[in-house]
Amino acid sequence: MKRTVPLVLTFIIGMYPIFAFFVPHRIASDLNDRLDTWLIIVAAFALPLGAVNVFMINLSKISQRRKGWPYSIVILAGLVVMGSIGIAGAYRQDSIGQFQYLFQNIVSPLQSTMFSLLSFYVASAAYRAFRARNLDAGILLVSAIVVMMGRIPFGDMLSHGSMTPLSEWLMTIPNTAAQRGIIIGAALGAASMSIRIILGIERTYLGSGKD
Amino acid sequence: MNLKKMLFIDRRIIYLLVAAGALYPIIRPIGLPVIPTKPVAALYDAVEKMGPENAVIVSFDYGPSSEPELNPMAGAILRHLFLRKIKVVVLALFPLGGNEEAKSELNKVVDEYDLQYGVDYVNLGYKEGGQAVMKRMAISIADVFPVDVDGRPTADMPIMAQAKNYSDISLLISLATGIIGEWWANLVNPQFGVPVSVGCTAVSAPKYYAYLRAGQMMSLLGGLKGASEYEKLLKDGYASVRQTYEKPEEKKASATTGMDVQSIVHVIIIAFIVFGNVIFFATRKEGSK
Repeated sequence: MKRTVPLVLTFIIGMYPIFAFFVPHRIASDLNDRLDTWLIIVAAFALPLGAVNVFMINLSKISQRRKGWPYSIVILAGLVVMGSIGIAGAYRQDSIGQFQYLFQNIVSPLQSTMFSLLSFYVASAAYRAFRARNLDAGILLVSAIVVMMGRIPFGDMLSHGSMTPLSEWLMTIPNTAAQRGIIIGAALGAASMSIRIILGIERTYLGSGKD
Repeated sequence: MNLKKMLFIDRRIIYLLVAAGALYPIIRPIGLPVIPTKPVAALYDAVEKMGPENAVIVSFDYGPSSEPELNPMAGAILRHLFLRKIKVVVLALFPLGGNEEAKSELNKVVDEYDLQYGVDYVNLGYKEGGQAVMKRMAISIADVFPVDVDGRPTADMPIMAQAKNYSDISLLISLATGIIGEWWANLVNPQFGVPVSVGCTAVSAPKYYAYLRAGQMMSLLGGLKGASEYEKLLKDGYASVRQTYEKPEEKKASATTGMDVQSIVHVIIIAFIVFGNVIFFATRKEGSK
């Protein structure tokens, strides 16, 4: 029963939008619209669920003094401070400013710093690892240099304006061909996974793969 | 000197050069010329054809990690929309800071123009649900966002009468990091026919070319370069904007200044790659002798 009910529900809820797509009747589409609204509500409930999950995992990490447990204290402190000020802001309009202040002065600089560090690592990694060891690597290397030069005005200055069109061609033709393959592959994968879930073949979302 | 040793140069030297390269143009701007590309000009031209009768959605689908690239883009696009007196509906679908980015960018720009909240623009705030939100907006935007970012009811706002659902929307601009921009392009455009434009980080630009070529997007602004190209078009088209970008605080935060930094850092990285390969081939030759 514990497994059958969720499986039946998943089958009905999963099949209905497909059914509604092919049956252009008002009753069918109204119910489908209602399902979309429910989806927004369910997605909103996923947020507190995620917060509870973060709490449980990090509390157990702290209590068992597992490796890196002091970082869990930072995570929980951040969650409590930002969460409580954000929720308070929903009730008292004046504390919206406090949340914005914390966001702009703590979250934003921290994330920007993490992202900015990438340029240093990229430079170091590119110097050590980007080698034209064979023809394929050589083509990749030349393409990368063209695209990098095409992304800066300096490249056009050096090449009398030919670097940007060359870079755009690389992005528009060979890159698009590869991206289409990836996108179509991912879409087929998502569709097949959806069918597996709807038909109850894929059951890991229920908590375990075992019956 | 042993060439092989050069391959294992202390990484702190590389870091130092990158830092110096990034700092120099901030202290002493170079002002390298920017040439607008077709995917960027397409958005500028589309906005130029619009006026007060049009409504545009600007979705803030990014967080602080993408600020350096997408904030200048947001600023330039919002300025252009407000200059054309287009009705602007702002929302956010990115959970980690989309709402905050929308608020801060709007705050920066709205005071430059004579605008009335709820009439000329509205900030609907963040809504969880991604694709479900996008689908529901096809029926009614006000139903999905019954209150705005500050909790005011949206149904009575005059702007919402001009933006009831997608059929009223002339253009949808997503400033995106991650997958949300793709959803606008592969779900909203094909199903509801809304022209979609995406402004994204340079690292995610390659995947959007597939949607651009397929006609699911009408334009693409890729990274800081896309933002600087848009700024260039805007400054060329509007003297008032040129003056705005001359102000020190705006100049410092502009994509055009950022491009100087990007130029020098890219050149340093390319120089290291070329240098590394020269040593690699030289040592390989030595080894084969």
